[in-house]
Amino acid sequence: MAGELLKVDDLKMHFHTRDGVVKAVDGVSYTLNPGETLGVVGESGSGKSVTALTMMRLIPMPPGKIEGGEVLFKGESMLTMKEEQVRDIRGNRIAMIFQDPMTSLNPVYRIGHQIAEPLITHKGMSKKEAHARAVELLEMVGIPNAASRARDYPHQFSGGMRQRAMIAMALSCDPDVLIADEPTTALDVTIQAQILELMQALQKRTGTAIIMITHDLGVVADIANNILVMYAGRAVEYGSTDQVFYEPSHPYTWGLMDSLPTHDLTEKSTLCPIEGQPPSLLNVPSGCPFNPRCPYVKEECRTTVPELRDLGDGHLSACLFAADPDFKRSAADCAGVTR
Amino acid sequence: MKDYRSGMPSTPPFQPDEQHAGHENRTLWGDAWNRLRKNRLAVIALMWLVIVTAAAISADFWVPQVFGSPTVFSTSGAAELRLKPPTLAHPMGTDDVGRDLFARVIYGSRISLTVGVLAVVVSLVIGLILGSLSAFYGGILDAFIMRIADIFLAFPYILFAILLLSVLPDNLRGITPVFLTIGILGWPSIARVFRSSVLSVKENDYVEAGRALGASDIRLMLRHILPNAVAPIIVYGTMSVGGAILTEAALSFLGLGLPPGSPSWGGMIQDGRIYLTSSPGVVLWPGLAILSTVLAFTLLGDGIRDALDVKMKD
Amino acid sequence: MSDLLRVESLTKHFAVQQTALGSRLGGHVMAVDDVSFTVKEGETLGLVGESGCGKSTTGRCIIRLTEPTSGSIFYEDRNIRELRGKDLKAFRRQAQFIFQDPYASLNPRMTIGEIVSEPLVIHQEGTRFEQQARAKELLDVVGLNPEHINRYPHEFSGGQRQRIGIARALALNPKLLICDEPVSALDVSIQAQVLNLLGELQHDFGLTYVFIAHDLSVVQHISDRIAVMYLGKLVEISDWKALYAKPHHPYTQSLLSAVPLPDPKQQRARERIILEGDPPSPIDPPSGCRFHTRCPIAKDICSAEEPKLREVAPGHSAACHFAALNPVPIGIARPAEFTPIVG
Repeated sequence: MAGELLKVDDLKMHFHTRDGVVKAVDGVSYTLNPGETLGVVGESGSGKSVTALTMMRLIPMPPGKIEGGEVLFKGESMLTMKEEQVRDIRGNRIAMIFQDPMTSLNPVYRIGHQIAEPLITHKGMSKKEAHARAVELLEMVGIPNAASRARDYPHQFSGGMRQRAMIAMALSCDPDVLIADEPTTALDVTIQAQILELMQALQKRTGTAIIMITHDLGVVADIANNILVMYAGRAVEYGSTDQVFYEPSHPYTWGLMDSLPTHDLTEKSTLCPIEGQPPSLLNVPSGCPFNPRCPYVKEECRTTVPELRDLGDGHLSACLFAADPDFKRSAADCAGVTR
Repeated sequence: MKDYRSGMPSTPPFQPDEQHAGHENRTLWGDAWNRLRKNRLAVIALMWLVIVTAAAISADFWVPQVFGSPTVFSTSGAAELRLKPPTLAHPMGTDDVGRDLFARVIYGSRISLTVGVLAVVVSLVIGLILGSLSAFYGGILDAFIMRIADIFLAFPYILFAILLLSVLPDNLRGITPVFLTIGILGWPSIARVFRSSVLSVKENDYVEAGRALGASDIRLMLRHILPNAVAPIIVYGTMSVGGAILTEAALSFLGLGLPPGSPSWGGMIQDGRIYLTSSPGVVLWPGLAILSTVLAFTLLGDGIRDALDVKMKD
Repeated sequence: MSDLLRVESLTKHFAVQQTALGSRLGGHVMAVDDVSFTVKEGETLGLVGESGCGKSTTGRCIIRLTEPTSGSIFYEDRNIRELRGKDLKAFRRQAQFIFQDPYASLNPRMTIGEIVSEPLVIHQEGTRFEQQARAKELLDVVGLNPEHINRYPHEFSGGQRQRIGIARALALNPKLLICDEPVSALDVSIQAQVLNLLGELQHDFGLTYVFIAHDLSVVQHISDRIAVMYLGKLVEISDWKALYAKPHHPYTQSLLSAVPLPDPKQQRARERIILEGDPPSPIDPPSGCRFHTRCPIAKDICSAEEPKLREVAPGHSAACHFAALNPVPIGIARPAEFTPIVG
C-alpha cells in the first residue's frame, strides 16, 4: 500500500453554545488510502458531516472548538497548518460536493464559467484553455452537448445535471480526495443510480479516493471499500464493507440493518427498529452513548466509555462486548411477526 | 364503529426524553419574550415607553397641581413668567406665554401616543382584513385590493394628508381626524406585509391538514393562519407607531393637526421656533420627546423582530 | 373484499402560470393524466414514482385537497367529486391524510393536545373534557406519553411529530388513510418505528392505506398491491410480489434495479439498468408512450402510439406495447440495446 493519504485520529469538535456544549464529534478515527472509498454511515446528528467539515477547517471557531485529535493529510497536520496552506489543499487536493448543488453553484454565472474560474486562478490557465477544459470536464461527467450546456445557468440544469456539474468542478484540479456529503439524497432513485455509477467510473479513471457520507447503507454497499459507522458523534464500528455488512459487531449497526425493509419476496415481517430516539448532543448519556437504546445493555455500559478496539483484520468496534465470542446478535428480541 | 380503546399496539411508549425534562411547556411566544428580555436596547426602549405612557395616563392627577396647567395661561401677561430657563419650579422652563414646558411635554405625550397608537390601529384593522382576504382568496379579489393599495402608495403621503386635513372645517379639528387620516393612509403597507406573510403561512401542511379535516375557512384563518402570520405585523406595527407620531408632529408643525394651543409636540415646535436662538428649550424639549419616543418604538420593533426570529436563536 | 375506493380516469392539469387578470402563460402541467385504479377495503395500495410523476397530486385529489380536472373518484360507490357541504364533511371523517414533513404539518402555536383533538372540535364531537380524554388516548395509541398533551410541537423530534400527525388522522376513526411519504423525512431507525406503527394500526383497526412513496423498499414492505407512475401516467399495477419478481414495464424494471441494495455481494453481482437522462418535463410530455425517450427497448411504435394499460397476468397490468414479451426478473438480464452512460 502506498501509505496513508488521510488519517483522522480521535478527532473531537465541540460547539460551545448558550445552552451548553454540543459534542458534535467526540472521538472519530479512520484512515483513507489512495484510490479507496470510505463510506461514512450514520443518522442525522451522528456527526458524519461535521467530521468532514472539521477536517477541512470549514467550521467557524468559535462556536466550534477542536478539543483534541489530529488530522494528517499526506503526513502533515491539517489542524495546525497555516490558513493559506489549508486553502491550497481545499478544492485542490481535497474537493467536496454537497447534498444540494444549488447552494454551491452561483445562480448568476454560467456553469462553464464557474468550472473554469478555479482553473484560471489556481492552475494559471488562460481563459480559453480553462473554458475548453470546463467543456471537457462536463463531457466527462456525462452532460450531453457539453459545449452548449456550458453556457447555461444553474437553474437551467436539472438536479442530477447540477450534481454532475458539481462533480466536474470538484474534479477539475485532479484532487486526491473527493468528499461527497449525501450527494444523491436529494435525487430520484434512477438519477441516484446514474450519479453513483458516474462516481465509480470516474474513480476508476482518476484514482481519486472518495469519502462517501450517507445515511443510506445501500449507497455504500456497492461502492465502499471500508465503512465507518457513526453514532452520537462517535465512531462505533469500522471495517471492510464485507466485515461491516456480514459480520457487524456493534448493536447499533445491527439495529440499523434490522431497521431496513428486507428485499426477499417470501413473507412480510415487521421491522426491528431501534427503540427510542437518538440522544441530544448536549446531553450524551454517560458510558456508551448507545446504552439507553441498546437491547443488550449491561451495567458496565452505563459507566465505561468503550474505545474502538480491533477484533482482528482491522475490524474495529466500540462495544465493550464485541470481542466476546458469546456476544451475538439475537433475533429473539424482535420476534418477527409475520402478517 | 371501531373502538380504539380495545386495540393497543405493542409499540412501547417512548421514555421521556431528558432533552426537555428541564422546562415546562414553553410556548413560542414565551420563548420570544425570554429572548426579548435579554436584549438590553429593547428593554430600555420598552421601559422608556412604559414611563411615557404612565406619565401620560396619570398626568391629570399631578401635573397641573405641581407645574400648572399646560393650556391655560395668565392673561395678566406677567412678563417674568415668559420664556424662563429651567428652574426647580419649572424643570424645562416656560414657553412664550408663560406655560410650564414640562407640563406641556407630558400632555403632548398623551396626544402623540393616542394619535400614534390609534392611527396604527386603524391601519391594522383595514390592512389585516384586506390583506388576509387578498392572500386567502387570491385571484381577482387579490388583484383588485392590491391595485388599490398600489394607488394609495403612489400618492405622496404627507401631501395627501395635508389635502385631507386642510379642507376640514375648523369646528371638526381634533385628534380624531388626525389619526383617521394617518391610519387610512397607512393601511396599504400593513396589508402588503400581512398578505405576503399569510401567503407563506398558507403553504404550510398544517393548514392543508386543517382543510382535510373539514375546517371552515374562518377556522383555518383564525386558528392556523393568523397566529402564525402576525409576527411580522407586530414588528411592523410597533415601528409604525413611531412613524405615525412623526407624521402627527409634522402635520401639527404645519398647523394642520390639532387646534392651535393644544400641547402637541409638533405644534410646540411650531410655536417655539421663532425663539430658537434666544430660548432653545422651547423647541429642544418637545423635539427630544419626539426623538426619544420614536426611537424607542423603532428599537422595540427591532428587538421584537429578533426575538421572534427563531433562526437567530443560537 | 370489496372496493373501498375506485379512481376512474383521474386527470389533473395545472396552469403553469396565471397572471392577475387570469390570462394563462406557458400551458399546462399534466400532473395526473387518465389514471384509474381501485383500492380494496383493508389493503394497502403503494403508489410509487419519482418526483413529478403525479403520485402526490393523485393522493390529494382523493381527499379533495385538490380539485381534479376530470375523472371520478368513488368512495363506497359515491362519487366524492359531487359531495358538497354536509356530505363532504361526513366524507372527511372517513378519509384522512398523513403528511410528509413532520415539521410543517403541525401548527407550532397549538399544543399537541389541541392538534390531536382538533378533528373532534371541528366535527363537534363530545365535550371539551371528552375531547381531552380522547386526545390522551390517541397519543397513547401512537406510542407517545399522554402526559405530554400540553407540550408544543417544537419540543418533539421528527419521528414523534410524525406520530402526532398520525394520532390526529386517527381521531375520527377514519377508514381510509392517504399517507404521503410519511417516513421519507425520518432517519432509518425512526422510519422503521413508524412503519411498524402504521402496520399495527392497520391490523388493529382495519384501516385501508394509500401509501405514496418514492422509496421502493419501503413500499414493498408495506404494500399489498403497488401502482407505479411515470410523468402523470399509471404504467404498471400489480400484487407486490409479482411486481418485484416479474416487473413488465421497462420503467418499473429500471426503477427496481436502481434501488441500491444494502447487501454488497448481491449489489456487486447484479447487472443494473441505468436510465439515461432526466425525466422529461410534464408541461410538454413526449408523444406516444411517455417513457419512450428514456426507454432501453423503445421501438418506432412507442413514440407514435400511446400504450393502454392492459392485463399481462391475472391482477397484473402494464402500459407497455411490449409488456407481455418483456418480463425481466431484476438482477439477471439486461436489455441488449442498453448502453451505459459512462464508457
